[in-house]
Amino acid sequence: MFRFLIRISSFLTKELTEIFRQPLLIFTLVLGPFLIMSLFGLAYPEQNRTLRTTFVTTNPNAFQDQMNLFTESYSSTIIDQGMETDKELALAKLAFNQTDLVIVIPDAPFETIQNNQQAVLQIYHNEVDPFQTGYVQTIANIYVNEVNRQILQTVAEQGQADSGDLQSGLETAIAKTQALRQIIPSGDANATTQVAELEKDLTNVYENLTTFRSLSSGVLVNPFGVEARGLSGVQFTVTSFFAPAVIVLLLQHLSITFAALSIVREIRSGIMELFRVAPITAFETLVGKYVSYLFFEIILAGVLTGLAVWLLKIPILGPWQDYVLAVVILLFTSLGLGFLISLVSQTDTQAVQYSMLLMLASIFFSGFFLDLRLMREPITALAWSLPATYGIRMLQDIMLRGSSIPLAVFQGIAIIGVVLFLVDWRLLKRKMES
Amino acid sequence: MFGEEIAVQSLTMQVPRGSIFGFIGPSGCGKTTTVRLLTGFYSPTSGTLSVLGKNPVDFSKSDRRKIGYLIQQFVLYADLTVWENLNFAASVYGVGLFRGRRLKQLLDFVELAGDKSKLARDLSGGMKRRLSLAATLVHNPELLFLDEPTAGIDPILRQKFWDYFKELQTEGHTLFTTTQYVGEAAYCDLVGVMHRGKLLMIETPDGLRRKAYGGDVVGIKTTEGMNFEQRNQLEGLPFVHGKVKVIDAQENDVIVDEANTAIRTLLEWCQAQKLNVETIEEKSPPFDDVFVKIIEMETANV
Repeated sequence: MFRFLIRISSFLTKELTEIFRQPLLIFTLVLGPFLIMSLFGLAYPEQNRTLRTTFVTTNPNAFQDQMNLFTESYSSTIIDQGMETDKELALAKLAFNQTDLVIVIPDAPFETIQNNQQAVLQIYHNEVDPFQTGYVQTIANIYVNEVNRQILQTVAEQGQADSGDLQSGLETAIAKTQALRQIIPSGDANATTQVAELEKDLTNVYENLTTFRSLSSGVLVNPFGVEARGLSGVQFTVTSFFAPAVIVLLLQHLSITFAALSIVREIRSGIMELFRVAPITAFETLVGKYVSYLFFEIILAGVLTGLAVWLLKIPILGPWQDYVLAVVILLFTSLGLGFLISLVSQTDTQAVQYSMLLMLASIFFSGFFLDLRLMREPITALAWSLPATYGIRMLQDIMLRGSSIPLAVFQGIAIIGVVLFLVDWRLLKRKMES
Repeated sequence: MFGEEIAVQSLTMQVPRGSIFGFIGPSGCGKTTTVRLLTGFYSPTSGTLSVLGKNPVDFSKSDRRKIGYLIQQFVLYADLTVWENLNFAASVYGVGLFRGRRLKQLLDFVELAGDKSKLARDLSGGMKRRLSLAATLVHNPELLFLDEPTAGIDPILRQKFWDYFKELQTEGHTLFTTTQYVGEAAYCDLVGVMHRGKLLMIETPDGLRRKAYGGDVVGIKTTEGMNFEQRNQLEGLPFVHGKVKVIDAQENDVIVDEANTAIRTLLEWCQAQKLNVETIEEKSPPFDDVFVKIIEMETANV
């Protein structure tokens, strides 16, 4: 047992010495990702993208007030670039990126509506990114809803004002009905009942009208509002949202790259021949390598997390011990994947290429920027074969949702990690014995 | 065999404990393959192998601790220092934690004590070779397999390496070393000659010469030189084998059964022939010539 520990320690010392002999590498590994996250936070402010908007109308004076009101209300998303009367000129500006959005107001829209037809606003954009197209579509919908709301509000206010005369007329009608009831002969029960019902109906209409007039036109047009709240109760910044995924991707990539180069280099250098003759086994070699890289990467993850939490103010709302557990299992499984690459690669270059492919697959399929729930069913199997998918899910739950480690996800990645260890052990044994 | 290709064959040998066994042959003749068979790296297609009383393929960990293996090329880590590399090798062999003294002794032995903090990448070829040797000795193995330990290093350092090996032998180690420098056969107790995957012979260095030339070589230098008739007479002597080799007008070489006894008789013969002898002595032909002769004999037999 003592000799077993000594043999394992040979790799711990060797790998760590080799890594720590490269201070620039450590500096890059720790500060690089931190700087990237900081720049990412600076690069993407919390505001939505503002769209430079040009309105096109043949009658600018008629819509100027409405446009001003709208652009003031939505100043965070719309920058008014003024009105044009020439649609082609506005579209040319759009083509030359001098404006982001062109809203064409139809000629005589109110007349069109009065003729029981929709007045269609044409909105033009020059986006190719499907996300930006979606964003523009959302802004367009908001704009149309706002225009409709303003019109409805004006109509409602007009109705409320007009209903004042109606209410006065009703008061007179109710008074007359009461007077009529007084003069009906007492024996005419049928007439008395009918007048009483008429009076009751008029009173109801009057009361409803009073309610209608007492309501604010804003509430009348938009009776329901909406307030969306997250369970954690915290509003996350873009940096905070992406931080767990960035940490996961970085740790996975580091583990895979370190491990991928580790064994293939030794096979090519010829030292494996020495190991095969020496009293060191494949199990001891593999455990030694796992322990050394885990040791280094746990320290690296600790420093990275510290910088993210204390300098970038990324929250960890869930239990710290769960965070540590999630990081350790992520590193363990990623190392297993890296060693697998190392054992099937013939050269360093091949190992690096495989690592880069895995990085690319992780960016696209791990839920880094596209929600996994949007993915087609069979391809999710690929996503769930990547350690990063499990890592992102675990760290988002722990850091942002404040939950404990999701047990099923933890079990999934642990099983993959153990299977990879066994496969690596078998392959290394074959290489050391063949 | 590697697939259809025969790497080594007809390999029968015994290496006595405490000896230096030299395995000599040109590049690609199967020396490294033989070492790999003996260390358990390869298993033979047919035949039996016994190293330290066991088939190398079945070596246990404790058996492996008794073996030191110096690989032909430098395989240690370029980014580690001399000391760290040695420490790594010690850990791989499970040498206890209080090994500082042992490592220091080894560095003194290979004369690298002053360079222990140097990175391996900054060492010269000879220093790398000495570091590899120290790493091979770190666990004090009984049996050392040294695959071309002197390949590519200068003659002075080669001499130094053989001094190390002799010292190790006196400490009780058994050394099995391969080399393509035929002259190094002289340092070995036993020499195996390998050619095209076949072991041609195993002999002592002197035995090797005798086998190559058919006896000892004696050089006779006379003032007047020998005539044709005298040479014929000399070849007719019962202890002289083959033809007399004419070196120049004054000097001739003859092959005899036993140099020590033959020299006196040859001197008497020269006096009888009225030849004034300037020098008469046993010659040690270079092993390069010995090796060429053996290969020629083998080719002729084939």
